[in-house]
Amino acid sequence: MGRHSSANESNLGVLEPTNPSLTTPPFTVKRKRVTLLSMPEHFQTALVLLAVWAVLVGATSLDKGYFLSGQTVIAVGFTMALVGVVAVAEALYGMSGARLDLAIPAELIFSAYVVTVLLAHRWNIFLVVVAALVAGGTWGLITGCIIVFGKVTPIIVTLATNLMGVAILEIAIKSEATMPVKSGLAQWGQGISGGLPNVFWVMAALVATSGFLLPRTRLGQHVIAVGGNPVAAKLRGVSLARTRFGVFIVSGVVVGLGGLLLAASVHSFVPADGSTYLLPGIAASLVAGVSLKGGTGNLWILFLSIGFLSTVPVSMSFFGLSDIWQQVPPGAILIVAVAIEGIRSRRAVR
Amino acid sequence: MALTALLGLGSLTACGSSSGTSATATSVTTTATASSTTTAATASKPFKVCMGTGSATFNWAIGQGQLLQSIAKKEGWSSVVLNNNASATTTLSNVSTFILDKCNAVIEFSNVTSVNPILAQKLAAAHIPTITYDIAQAGWYFVGIDNLKAGIEGGKALGAAIKQKWNCNIDQLLAAENYKVGLVNTERTDGMITGVLDVCPNLKNSVTKFVGNGDISSSLPAARSVMAAHPTWTKMAAVGINDDSVVGTLEAAQQLGRGQDIIGWGQGGDLITGANVNPDLIGSVFYFLEGYPEWTLPLLKDIAAGKPPAMGDSTTNPTVLIPPCLTTKAQASSIPDFGTRLQKMMTVNPGTTENSLYCPAG
Repeated sequence: MGRHSSANESNLGVLEPTNPSLTTPPFTVKRKRVTLLSMPEHFQTALVLLAVWAVLVGATSLDKGYFLSGQTVIAVGFTMALVGVVAVAEALYGMSGARLDLAIPAELIFSAYVVTVLLAHRWNIFLVVVAALVAGGTWGLITGCIIVFGKVTPIIVTLATNLMGVAILEIAIKSEATMPVKSGLAQWGQGISGGLPNVFWVMAALVATSGFLLPRTRLGQHVIAVGGNPVAAKLRGVSLARTRFGVFIVSGVVVGLGGLLLAASVHSFVPADGSTYLLPGIAASLVAGVSLKGGTGNLWILFLSIGFLSTVPVSMSFFGLSDIWQQVPPGAILIVAVAIEGIRSRRAVR
Repeated sequence: MALTALLGLGSLTACGSSSGTSATATSVTTTATASSTTTAATASKPFKVCMGTGSATFNWAIGQGQLLQSIAKKEGWSSVVLNNNASATTTLSNVSTFILDKCNAVIEFSNVTSVNPILAQKLAAAHIPTITYDIAQAGWYFVGIDNLKAGIEGGKALGAAIKQKWNCNIDQLLAAENYKVGLVNTERTDGMITGVLDVCPNLKNSVTKFVGNGDISSSLPAARSVMAAHPTWTKMAAVGINDDSVVGTLEAAQQLGRGQDIIGWGQGGDLITGANVNPDLIGSVFYFLEGYPEWTLPLLKDIAAGKPPAMGDSTTNPTVLIPPCLTTKAQASSIPDFGTRLQKMMTVNPGTTENSLYCPAG
């Protein structure tokens, strides 16, 4: 759980040095044994999130006995699906030190639009799925080229590409992109398996897989190393450009998957709809302890933050609070999460 | 001939400059064509009609500009169309361009209502008669839909369906509101509730309102949460400010496995044509927004002739009140999609409205 989740030194500690000259002093990196004490922050984050989520569910259930019904689980599951995918993409960006991907709204709609167009042309569903992922990956590749070759700050690039992307999509889509309602994908997207939405299981599989692979693959380790301390990572022979390209492409593919789920689970959408998922995705990533400064975070904890944040609006509906009020708790939670991250960063510096 | 060409070139340059000025602040949807400008130059008294469209986000807004230019061309007028982009500063900039460009009449779709009094002051100072679509402003000719009638008629139609299907015995009437648009929401969405209650007064205490924001991405999760909080509701009906908010509500029920006993009636007709209509959306009220310029033609002709009509600048005292078109899903299946309708309107004789072409009630 926490091999990649402690301080930067330990992140670098799991790297295999690619340059033999760096294995001699003073560049020798001591491998730290991973103990419970080396990962308290993330462990604590997980416990706190689990506790808060349980309190929310428990408190609502106490007052509204029927809260813990299959209907609530489905409602939360649908919300978790899209927010979760976006949160994974944001977490990858954050861990790599690229801070935030603000282009996700346009990227999401772009992939979803590709899905609706290809389905309207009666493409095979397997090819449509591949096309959605390729669309997202291509977007990530283009973003990566601008950032790496243009040496522009990622947050500025993603802000700009989102503005341009939404405008171009508005021109292309004209008003609304509509999903062929009788397509297999649309039927699947509305479907339930094991008491939860089909789209939820895809998100859960993504979180589980990416959480498993990140600390265990070379790219994953490089992402954490580059995000934590790019200078040190470079000295250890890690290619910053190649790693960042990898992050942008993988993150793009993840958002492409999100576009696929969006198209599958809603009847129609407009370019502006993508922004609906951006802030909850960022909030979930930050609440899970992913640092905006890079190098730390655990994708498995994301599952808890996504679940908690997705339960809040449903819970509030049980108390008859309008949607306007439902924006307040996630905003407050986001502020608290950012404040905690700031405190942690200051402690790490000391 | 040479003089005509020279005048045409001069006029075209003027249009080009105004478009160029605004291009920095706005996206120019379309500008006067060379042919329409040349035609204007040959007319006895050149007339230039200018329009600020709502936003390039909506196809009907783009369609309004295109249809206006088509009409202007047929009438021998020149035309300039700029995109207000739902922005106060862009709309102000566009109006300044219209004044500099010496437009003889201006049509505004300015949905940032706070800026409209300022625009009205500037246009009045420049003595340019102004027409507004759907959003009333003192001193501007009001041309628009009767939103209250659209809401009540849509509600009555849904109420009739509820009565026929369940003898008015449903668990809840769900209303997806969009409070951001103020009076329009009150007239349409609350108008629909009034219409339903007119047929089924027993539902008076069975109405739940939630924020749908006029789009599926907002109305779907909001309705899902509301329905999850009320698992005992099985028979439901949905109303909203537009088709999107109603479809979002219907989809929420379908996702929760409760789609078998819900019906909805939308507004605007955006999601009830074509092959991908939600099975529980049983009807909608069409406005044919893209066709508004055709309703405006008599008014523009009067202004061009120097005989502007008496001012009707409110929804209660409108200059032109466009009748809503009540349409069931079966009837909507014979209404072509937006693109086809717009192309058709470009070719019809002046004075032909989309209501006369497509509305079942004529």
